[in-house]
Amino acid sequence: MKNLKKLTAITAAAVMAVSMAGCSSGGSRNSSAAGDSPQTSASSGGAHLNFACYNYSNSMDPITNVNSSWCFIRYGVGECLFRFDENVEVEGALCDSYETEDYITWVLHIRDGVQFSNGNEVTASVVKDSLERVYEAEASATGNSTPSQYVTFSSIEADDEAGTVTLVCSGQTVNLPGILAYPWYGIVDTSVIDSEVIGTGPYRVTAISENSTVDLAKNEYYWDGEVPYDTITIYLTEDSSTKAMALKSGDVDLAENITTASDLEELKGNPEYYVSTTAGVRLGNSYFNYNGVLANDALRQAIQYAIDDETMCSVTVGGMYTAGSSVLPSSLPYGYEQLTDPYAYDLDKATAVLDEAGIVDTDGDGYRELDGENINLNYIAYSSRNLDEFAQAVAITLESIGIGCSVTVQDYDTALANQSAGRFDLITSNAIVVPTGDPTGFLGNFYSGNSGTYGYYANDEYDALYEQLLTATDEDQRLELIIEMQQILIDDAATLVHGYYNSTFASRADAVSGADITPIDYYWITTDIHPAR
Amino acid sequence: MKKLKEFIKKNPAFAVFLILALLLVCIAIFAPWIATHDPYEAVLADAVQPPSAQHWFGTDTMGRDLFSRVIFGTRTSLAAALALVGIIMTAGTFLGIVAGYFGGVLDAVIMRIADMMISFPGMVLAIAVAGILGGGIVNAVLALSVVSWTKYARLARSLVLKIYNRDYIAAARVTGSTTGHILWKYMLPNALPTILITGATDIGSMMLEIAGLSFLGFGAKPPAAEWGYMLNEGRPYITAAPWLMIFPGLAIFVTVVIFNLLGDSIRDVLDPRSE
Repeated sequence: MKNLKKLTAITAAAVMAVSMAGCSSGGSRNSSAAGDSPQTSASSGGAHLNFACYNYSNSMDPITNVNSSWCFIRYGVGECLFRFDENVEVEGALCDSYETEDYITWVLHIRDGVQFSNGNEVTASVVKDSLERVYEAEASATGNSTPSQYVTFSSIEADDEAGTVTLVCSGQTVNLPGILAYPWYGIVDTSVIDSEVIGTGPYRVTAISENSTVDLAKNEYYWDGEVPYDTITIYLTEDSSTKAMALKSGDVDLAENITTASDLEELKGNPEYYVSTTAGVRLGNSYFNYNGVLANDALRQAIQYAIDDETMCSVTVGGMYTAGSSVLPSSLPYGYEQLTDPYAYDLDKATAVLDEAGIVDTDGDGYRELDGENINLNYIAYSSRNLDEFAQAVAITLESIGIGCSVTVQDYDTALANQSAGRFDLITSNAIVVPTGDPTGFLGNFYSGNSGTYGYYANDEYDALYEQLLTATDEDQRLELIIEMQQILIDDAATLVHGYYNSTFASRADAVSGADITPIDYYWITTDIHPAR
Repeated sequence: MKKLKEFIKKNPAFAVFLILALLLVCIAIFAPWIATHDPYEAVLADAVQPPSAQHWFGTDTMGRDLFSRVIFGTRTSLAAALALVGIIMTAGTFLGIVAGYFGGVLDAVIMRIADMMISFPGMVLAIAVAGILGGGIVNAVLALSVVSWTKYARLARSLVLKIYNRDYIAAARVTGSTTGHILWKYMLPNALPTILITGATDIGSMMLEIAGLSFLGFGAKPPAAEWGYMLNEGRPYITAAPWLMIFPGLAIFVTVVIFNLLGDSIRDVLDPRSE
């Protein structure tokens, strides 16, 4: 009886093992077939590119939200009236010339002969409709994009005969071309927008598999030169290591922003790969919430003294960031070298500042108290672009000087909701500081009228300078104001600057040429990226 | 003493695994003396160093000593797993006995809730619960408790039903025993051996589930020294600094194996049929 049982068990195990082996071989057969398919299509249909990137949005409609508008531009599907070159200078794209006298009324001429990827012509009326659409979506809350953040128009008129669009801004807007280069103002074919998102970029979408792949094909009607690839498959890959491994195995030819330092180091050291890095226009920082214990000046100053930015940037995040003290990156021409940082790293000074301010540990539990209560900072982070690593390193450092600090890593949307609701003491952020080619908008985050979602910072002097900046047209005067404002933020210990993010593109040198990342990273797939010869 | 020797001779496997399990408990208790460094002390400049004489298991991404963190991780993992098994065993057994003994509406309500719980994939439901409760090892234990008690309830209920109509139960009732007395003196002792064996074999798998939740970011929060969370921290470095994953992984593996085999050998000891 016992033997029979044993026999049955062994037989059952054998059957299971065989069936599982069957599964796995079937699986591998399937996966190899799947792996072959892009290459097959490449050989039959011409040049093909496999690109791995993080999935920021499943939508490519500029009205949906910030990320979807960025995908529209980044995937090479759409374009704006203007664009930024590699020096963050604005140049014409769908608009080839413009006129303005008072910076209020702008007459933009739409480039002749440009067609959408479905063959429809880009007329002044379509441009008007497209711009109006994104504002209407904001007003009716059918979209989450907020184009009125940068500019509002009192009227938009189209003259198809002359091929011009006349925009009348609600106020003086010096930087309108830069603003119109922002992805929210991407031009879509409004005649078909209810069924698909069609733009004027070098590629058009042929298939989307949500959270998995996006298939692109050459736009036969592209206006700006030869389109190098016939087809492109975008592999939406959340995980940085996965991107690196896919690149190394040859599954993809190009990957954006591999953020794991160890992987990046390996790729840089191997001549088979080309890694393009650009001094970032992205600031990595943590906002302080002034509606809480961090309203205390000494506490914020102590934190600034305690944080070793250099080591965090070079070791903790492995050189993904360049350390700095101001909110505007040192690589941009906003007078970084004229600024002074009174809170350079000095751990002893940090404890001295706390002791002096009477923020000490009186009950011997290891944590300092403020107004009779233990300090326990609620630090919210999200895992994009090494921000969670910064948060952890900061928390560990603060704990070591007796400031309680607990890090919660949340997904981006939850973190953003908590930020808007003010439910944080510290919250990480990574943002382009010159989204429209100009830092005014970003500096507005610290203007008391806007700072509600950025921790309620308020400084009258800063507010006055910001208001001046909004109306200033003279370049030198603007620069002076911007420098002064940066120094105020540094002196106030207004925000915890971690460093400036270095964007990267990594490609297989034998497969791809010209895969250079631009400082303003709205542009990923461009006609500059072409097969290696 | 002689009896003990005889017992060990008769159950060598049980003795070995019990000693190993006690060893783990000792590691947890005496962690501060075993660890070579403070597991939470970070030297940011010394991040991701390979194993050396100074740092036996190397250092992690924040420059903390990995050996000390693995040792201290024993505390978190063991305490959490034991607490979890304790909670689900107590709650499940209580609900199961009550449902089996009283029957009727109470039985229907409790068992339908249990049915509902097991009609979801356990881990997915635990992730949902942990997601709602927020991070933290205590919440992870609660989340897993919510989805794991059903096994004990069903088991206890069936064991109660098995003896419900026996003569000695009827005799107890006829002689005027209170319901509480019957539950406590007859029903519970009848169910307990099976429940205990199930509980012992469950420690290993519960430890894995806690580590799993932590790995996914729903359990232990930084800077906790918890094995699953340490695996998560080391994951991006799997090719460049494999020791960040190897040592916590090994710790989980060894501990789970010891507790699983201990559970098996307890069954052999307690189950008279195996002789």
